[in-house]
Amino acid sequence: MSRIVIFIFSKLGSLLATLVIMSFIIFMLVELMPGDVAQMILGQSATEEAVSALREARGLNEPILKRYALWIKGVVFGDLGESIYMQGVAINSILWRRVGHSLILALTAFLMFVPLSLFFGVLAGVKEHKLSDSIISFFGLATMALPEFVSGVFLISIFALKLKWFPIVSVIPIGESLLSNLNIVLLPAFSITFVMFGYVSRMQRSSMIQVMHSDYIRAATLKGMPRSYVIFRHALKNALLPSITIIGMNMGWLFGGLVVVETLFGFPGMGTLLMSAIKTRDVPLIEACVLLITVIFSLSTVATDLLYSALNPKIRLTGGQR
Amino acid sequence: MNTFFYQLKRSPLAILGILIIFIWILIAIFGPSLMYYTHTHIDSEHQMVKPGVNRHLLGTDALGRDLLSRIVYGSRSILTVALLTSIVSTFLGIIFGFTAGYFGGRLDSLFLQTMNILMAIPPLVLSMVVLGILGDSTIFSLTLIVSITFIPATARVSRGVLLTEKNQEYVSAAHIRGESHLYVMFIEILPNTIGPIIVEATARFAYSIMMVASLGFLGVGLQPPTPDWGMMVIENKEIMTQAPWAILFPALAIASLVIAISIFSDFVSKVLIHE
Repeated sequence: MSRIVIFIFSKLGSLLATLVIMSFIIFMLVELMPGDVAQMILGQSATEEAVSALREARGLNEPILKRYALWIKGVVFGDLGESIYMQGVAINSILWRRVGHSLILALTAFLMFVPLSLFFGVLAGVKEHKLSDSIISFFGLATMALPEFVSGVFLISIFALKLKWFPIVSVIPIGESLLSNLNIVLLPAFSITFVMFGYVSRMQRSSMIQVMHSDYIRAATLKGMPRSYVIFRHALKNALLPSITIIGMNMGWLFGGLVVVETLFGFPGMGTLLMSAIKTRDVPLIEACVLLITVIFSLSTVATDLLYSALNPKIRLTGGQR
Repeated sequence: MNTFFYQLKRSPLAILGILIIFIWILIAIFGPSLMYYTHTHIDSEHQMVKPGVNRHLLGTDALGRDLLSRIVYGSRSILTVALLTSIVSTFLGIIFGFTAGYFGGRLDSLFLQTMNILMAIPPLVLSMVVLGILGDSTIFSLTLIVSITFIPATARVSRGVLLTEKNQEYVSAAHIRGESHLYVMFIEILPNTIGPIIVEATARFAYSIMMVASLGFLGVGLQPPTPDWGMMVIENKEIMTQAPWAILFPALAIASLVIAISIFSDFVSKVLIHE
């Protein structure tokens, strides 16, 4: 038990270090690069005095280290600061709604791709080198290679343009919540599912094949057990393990994919918020989004490690590194 | 090399993949000079026309620019950046991974810590934020930033294979002969570990195409007037109901190239790992 506690603390420590270093680098980058938020708000034709007055008003003329220290202090107390571009709106008031939307999208995608890819991966593994295996494997290779927006475009042209089942853009009517408009989530989620399906089903296939060729499966088959019993009771238990790691490792792609898919569909999530923050050079907003993505991503990695070690007693959390 | 061709004969899918890659390379090299319209030509009489009208073989976009010629020109930039990225990231990966694994100790733990920091942010998000802040991406900045986000993956592979070779007898023999560290690393060990590294590099090529296309799509890739496949998709999304071909053709171009490269890299890994 104490080993797990030490593991979690060391992970959280390195996450904290990562956050400090990353946020500082982003602060510096924005500072060093030409173009600033005051100019963005006032437009190119603004006079020099107006720009510097606005910079003064928004506290942008303070030295960078002081601003960074102030910002960090706020974050520690749960205050992510104010958006500079959006006239001093508190980031806490816009961010969390967007995060909720993104999480719903990610969760929907997750619920779609995990069962689908595990099922087809196992099927392909059991039917090794048969026709169904070749079809599933090729489909997996193809979907894995396609960037989310490309598969998204294909899905839109089929399901939104031709069949008109889903809307082309994911806009929530003003005053309504995402939960009452769940149909706008499905097509974006399906686009993410495509990419993930490839990774997970291929991994599941190869681990299934490996297990099916192992001695204990051969023994069970030779003992005269029904094939379905061998597959479901003996093989699956071991063959599902590697897929958990693969799903966890690909959470990174899922987050990248979220940004892309949200942009394609105009989905009001964290990705589109980050995109607009980058375009307007709104440092506090960029920092808040990156911070949150990093935290969620790292926590999901830690959770994967814990789950994996809980399911497989052979794996120990510490002492694995050479 | 012989096994390579032997395996190739038995795998029609891999032949198809290599053929498609080859065709795209030919298009990138010779295509632009064969085009009837240039990629910036604005045919204001024929906006959003169907494929085939007025010599626009794939139709035009909202401004009346020829889609075929924009796709053909776009193949140049995406292939160049993706190829450079996979080379640079593999090269940097070998240098960092080998140095860390070879010397071990503090250097190695420093390396692992740095990689952990880099890996804490999804690669696409990281390069999107940095490129977005830097603004006006060039081939140089795009290659550099994407390569940096790929280093954790490539360096870990290099470090891993180096660690398996490090304690072999030929390495100690070289040490006893009095060879320098550089010689041992790159002349003795590298040739023995080249298989997995090549596999990783070809896989990186596919990832690079995906990444560069996605960054272009997000608007932080190469800037206009350079035509970019990803950017064409997002630009033409607004006219999707009137001119679906304007978004479908660039998407198909990305799909064909990236699937062909994945088939190829899948094949390479099968051949080299079964050896």
